[in-house]
Amino acid sequence: MSQKYILLTLVLFLMGASACEDDFIGRTPVYSIDSENYFNAEADYENALIAAYDMLQSSYLNVMLGEIASDNTLAGGESATDVIGIQQVDDMIHTPVNEQLKSIWSWMFAGVNRASYLLEYKDKTEFDGKAQIIAEARFLRAYYNFELVKWFGPIPIKGDERFALGDETSLPRASQTEVYASIESDLTQAIADLAVAAPQVGRVSRGAAQALLGKAYLYQEKYEQAATVLSEVIQAGNFSVSNDFAGIFEITGENGPGAVFEVQYTDAEGAGFGCLQCSEGNVAVGFNGIRNHTGPVYDSGFSFNVPTQNAFEAYEPGDQRRDVAILDIDAWAAETGASFGVGFEHTGYYNRKYIARKGDSNIGDQNLTNPNNYRSIRYADVLLMAAEALNAAGSDEQARDYLNQIRRRAFGDEDHDISASGNALADFIQVERRLELMGEGHRFFDLVRKGAAAGAIEGFITGKHELFPIPFEEIQFSGGNWSQNPGY
Amino acid sequence: MHQYIFLVTLLLGWGGLTAQTLTVSGTITDASSGESLIGASVIVIKSETSGTMSGTITDFDGLFSLESVPTGSVLRFSYTGYESLERPVTSSGVMDIAMRGDVQALQEVVVIGYGTQQKRNVTGAVATVDSETIDDLRPVKIEQALQGTIAGVNVTTQSGAPGAGLNIRIRGVSTNGQNAPLVIIDGYQGDLSTINPTDIETITVLKDAQAAVYGTVGANGVILVTTKTGKKNSPTKVSYNTFYGTQETSRKLNMLNATEYGLLLNESYAAGGQSLPFPDASGLGVGTNWQDEVFGTAPMSSHDITVSGGSDRTTYSISGSTLTQDGIIGGEKSNFQRNTARLSLGVDLAENLKLTTNVIFTNIDRDALAENGLGAVLFNALNAPPTLPLLDENGDFSLVPNTPGLGIEVINPAAQIFNTFNDYDLNKLNGQFSLDWKALPGLTLTSRVGFNTSNSEGRTFAKQISYGGKVFDIPRSSVSQNGINDNNYSLDLFGTYQKTLAEQHNFTVTAGTTLFRELGNGLFATGFDVPNNDWEFADISLANGTSPEGVRDVGSYAYDERRLSYFSRVQYNFSERYFLTAMLRRDASTKFGPENRSALFPSFTAGWIASDEAFFGDGGLMDLLKFRISYGILGNDQIINNGYIGTLSGEAAYVFDGSLVNGTAIGALPNPSLQWEEAKKFNVGLDLSFLDYKLNVTADYFINTRDNLLISNIPVSGIVGTTAPGSAAPTVNAGAVRNQGLEVAISYQQRFNKDLKLNVSYNFTTLDNEVLAVNNGTGFIEGGAFGVGQLAPSRMEVGLPIGYFYGYQTDGIFQNASEIEAHPSQIALGANAQPGDLRFVDVNGDGVIDPNDRTNLGDPIANMTMGLNFQVKYKRFDFLTYAFASLGGDIVRNYERALSDVNRLDYYLSRWTGEGTSNEVPRTTTAATANGVFSDFFVEEATFLRLQTVQLGYTLPFKVGPDRKSSLRLYVSGNNLLTLSDYQGFDPGASSGAPIGGGIDYGFYPIARTFLFGANLSL
Repeated sequence: MSQKYILLTLVLFLMGASACEDDFIGRTPVYSIDSENYFNAEADYENALIAAYDMLQSSYLNVMLGEIASDNTLAGGESATDVIGIQQVDDMIHTPVNEQLKSIWSWMFAGVNRASYLLEYKDKTEFDGKAQIIAEARFLRAYYNFELVKWFGPIPIKGDERFALGDETSLPRASQTEVYASIESDLTQAIADLAVAAPQVGRVSRGAAQALLGKAYLYQEKYEQAATVLSEVIQAGNFSVSNDFAGIFEITGENGPGAVFEVQYTDAEGAGFGCLQCSEGNVAVGFNGIRNHTGPVYDSGFSFNVPTQNAFEAYEPGDQRRDVAILDIDAWAAETGASFGVGFEHTGYYNRKYIARKGDSNIGDQNLTNPNNYRSIRYADVLLMAAEALNAAGSDEQARDYLNQIRRRAFGDEDHDISASGNALADFIQVERRLELMGEGHRFFDLVRKGAAAGAIEGFITGKHELFPIPFEEIQFSGGNWSQNPGY
Repeated sequence: MHQYIFLVTLLLGWGGLTAQTLTVSGTITDASSGESLIGASVIVIKSETSGTMSGTITDFDGLFSLESVPTGSVLRFSYTGYESLERPVTSSGVMDIAMRGDVQALQEVVVIGYGTQQKRNVTGAVATVDSETIDDLRPVKIEQALQGTIAGVNVTTQSGAPGAGLNIRIRGVSTNGQNAPLVIIDGYQGDLSTINPTDIETITVLKDAQAAVYGTVGANGVILVTTKTGKKNSPTKVSYNTFYGTQETSRKLNMLNATEYGLLLNESYAAGGQSLPFPDASGLGVGTNWQDEVFGTAPMSSHDITVSGGSDRTTYSISGSTLTQDGIIGGEKSNFQRNTARLSLGVDLAENLKLTTNVIFTNIDRDALAENGLGAVLFNALNAPPTLPLLDENGDFSLVPNTPGLGIEVINPAAQIFNTFNDYDLNKLNGQFSLDWKALPGLTLTSRVGFNTSNSEGRTFAKQISYGGKVFDIPRSSVSQNGINDNNYSLDLFGTYQKTLAEQHNFTVTAGTTLFRELGNGLFATGFDVPNNDWEFADISLANGTSPEGVRDVGSYAYDERRLSYFSRVQYNFSERYFLTAMLRRDASTKFGPENRSALFPSFTAGWIASDEAFFGDGGLMDLLKFRISYGILGNDQIINNGYIGTLSGEAAYVFDGSLVNGTAIGALPNPSLQWEEAKKFNVGLDLSFLDYKLNVTADYFINTRDNLLISNIPVSGIVGTTAPGSAAPTVNAGAVRNQGLEVAISYQQRFNKDLKLNVSYNFTTLDNEVLAVNNGTGFIEGGAFGVGQLAPSRMEVGLPIGYFYGYQTDGIFQNASEIEAHPSQIALGANAQPGDLRFVDVNGDGVIDPNDRTNLGDPIANMTMGLNFQVKYKRFDFLTYAFASLGGDIVRNYERALSDVNRLDYYLSRWTGEGTSNEVPRTTTAATANGVFSDFFVEEATFLRLQTVQLGYTLPFKVGPDRKSSLRLYVSGNNLLTLSDYQGFDPGASSGAPIGGGIDYGFYPIARTFLFGANLSL
């Protein structure tokens, strides 16, 4: 073979190889679905909706940290350095460098984005029942945005479209008014399309969306509108005050007659500390659990979020809610022979509504996989919100009626009815909110919106601590587009 | 040891019996010392017309004798490390030959990727480890042979557990991503971790732009492995190696005994205002030493056999090996077994067509215990209270009490070992077929197919167990199994053309293409309710239980990644004195986005052998002076697959109607403009040889800048939703890191006389690492973990070494209340200070101690590493020792659980107990303190010197055949006999290998100290 032929063969081979480069390298990835070529069938929308619901489970931190921020509980835990971010919020010495606040910010935005992903493709494929799915997505986005505005105040808002990288440098932080306008818009649209009864347990009903809308109005002091929409929930008669207050917080009481909206958790799947937001269980429950508890009824936990003496003493004698909301651990040990450990900031009390119970599968890590649903919007809350709105709007009689429905359940009689009016009634309603909703993560935000936080929470600085700081990194990422909340 | 001593017997027929013959005999000596050379080979050549061809080797006195040598023949005398000589047979038949020594080293051929080059002509920074060194070190895993033997290469252990991985870093940590070098075995992409060390002939490390011929996979350096082959025209050679050894821990930590522990606890409870846990500590004694309960001596043994040889057209080498090693913790519960078989064949299909092939089969069986961090056996052994007995009164493992002081993570480590059950099996076949065709004079065309195919099975049994309310309690037994297939193949086609013009201009041109594809899949499943709660029944086929509805207890993945490359290299030299090499490679890879699918990687190297210049003259002190310089751009593509497209790989699970339902969610965000990391490598070096090549010095100075660092899951604004389950931030080219340093390797070998030979080598490497850019908006990336619930302790930040430690600086201990008064408040760290607490420095001077006062506390990167190797042979004895030192790195002590009742290291005996008692170790108390936050109190120097190997051998004459050089060598060897270090933990040299978060000691499994007795038989 001559030299020419050899070289020719080589050249031909190389040419051939380069011709097939596009075929060889341009392969489609195996077994993957392109996120930008989705929403081609009803099932795709349903699957994306599950993803939007999924982030609700990460809101365990909002509930837990919201309670710790208030005057109801202390941080607790193992030591002064156990989850420093939580300890700092408890002591009102938090700064923009705080892992837990960063988590709340990013997890709630992840929820917003998962809902917006579905809404971005809302017009792509038509099918029966799509309106319901779209409406649920809108509710969820409103829910996440409401959490964000409660915690951080002004936040970026982008309509029916996901946030993209770079938006942090161009989208402004919309004012709280604009954020609330967006929440109202999402909820109003959702209410129109949502079924009165949720299609499955755990999904949102029309009443839930109305209740959230009422709450959003209340936070803006739009009392007339709040009263209207909350009264609709009440008058529709789909929910009721259960007589068994204690039962509400047990597994058997989940999704009961008073459950307007519950965040669903399960003990079916394991979880790890590497991704707390990935757990399908209620992480807060294990964190709140009794340190080193050995005894009946309760599993052990990490002794965070421990109620204060002041919270325990806030209940009048005869109020059945005290021993449902707060577990006196010494009394419990004396009664049952249980043993327990003493953690940091031990008060002798535990947040009984949300501490670990025995009876779940204890799949590992058992502290992260407790199945206790978070009773996000209880009918009692709706009644109290309605009472507050009606009182502010001048309808004290109706307000008292709603308030006293709650008190009669608490005391089991009518002797403890409130007969006050006007501002005195307003004060009673706020006190009642604390007692009824103790341990459920509402207290701090109620104190803030009523301007009562500085008087109740040690270390609270008016003009600063109403909002939590935007995470340090976010300010950096925004490249000057966003400024930090005042005082931080 | 004379590995290359062999006998050549050329059998060219039986003709010419009538030719006149004579017997030739004589002595072969070293020209400089006059000492006899043992085992030098003598071959009769140039005797086509005559009869029997023959050869022999010199005996122990350097004597040889050859019968029936035709008159007029020419004899070739050769000996490893000496210049070969050819001499016509003298009429007297007496030939005393003096051979010039040790120039051979430079005629040695080294592989440089798609070709070979004479070592003398190499112009890049290239270093080799030969089989002699591997034989000396007897590593269980081949990576160990690179530690301390090659300048610029650092090997760290992840663990001392048998079969644990090792990390190789060539010239430092250049990226926050994958830093492992590319490994090429006989031309195809391979894996060092499974290979049997005795199958390796040489390891060549390409440290600089010389590796540019590997383009987008060469940025982390390239390790070229050549496996053993047979030699042509050599009789069958059998070598058998075996050793048996025992292993024990190289270190135990000094923990408190039961009495010391009881008293310490009493003191801390009193300080916290609590009642004493041990009102009478007098009867506690020494209690349980948990380290003694978990550490044991463990056996290891190895056998390998190699049969090799060749005829005039074929070569072969066949080998098999088996190795079994128990762990120093858990014994057979952390057993590692490796069996290998290898076949290497070379066949001359035609005069100009040569086929070589080799295939390696590897079987690995490994069991492992939990390591590193909360839940590790050693972590439990260090934290379990010494007052607790191993067994309770019923003879069961005692339970660590479930109290706040002991937490819920510390369990009885012996019980943990007992209850751990797992198994990992790997079967792997890898090899290559290649065809070399000498198509024209000077032109060789090579085609090669390389492949790796491996199957592994993993099985973990989670026994139903209760440790009394600890997080390791398992209420429901389960068995998790997986099957993983990993396959890849490469096709190479390249040509090499050599041409010399005008007798002085030498050209070698190489050009070709490589196609590489890797594909595989994994399948995972879990079954529950294992029958009898017993490992013997732990298989999914028997485990009937399933997860609750909606939970996926199965999973899988698949991948298919491809790369197509073209490369060319022109090597030119003038009179073998001036050298210039230019390389260019183009890669297209599925790793990169459509916008940047292919890349060009150019490089050049140049050299000048100054000692060949006339002005140097002859016979000077210096034998060789060579200057080298190189610069090139290489790539790194070791990142997540498909990072440029958005896929629905996220996790979406929620509960509807009381059951878990699964949906779809977005996975990692895409980056369509994803591209390779760009490594700009600059190197200047020189090679010097003196004293007849007895003293050799190689020095290199390098500056490696890695641009466009591929930062996976780069921190981005939370608004884009990347913290959702299964999601992640995109991989972005957003950083730069520079490593610069100096490498010097000095070797000296002297043969004093026939009986005494000395070989000493020393090398050191300095390393200066600096992050030049982190373009993610914040200027830093965090990583690692310290304690429980604390801020990330490691950072990659501009202007500082990658992975430096970021925490609080301390300034002694508060001795009294007035000192506290005068100091900024430390409440933001968790608690107000009391006398006896650590005093933190107000670094930013703002009058409060808070997270903004965190600062640089050191970094895990050693400023200097060095290796010292010493060998001496005296008569039949040989002795060698290898030592390694690492200077200037830091390590974080993170194996102490910050709880009141756990056991402690004995430095707590010198704690603060009152004003003036200590300014280093804080008080103990059960009350809240900030002493546990990540500060320099937990950062220690990782400087150490380790005696890696000490070996003494004795060679027995062991004649089997008349012409054969056979021997039996017996040796004893000790590995890791001594580690000198101030570090309080187990192993200052251990690291997870993570670029950000490395150097944090979660209780590393210490490397074993081993004592081996072995034999090498050569027939």
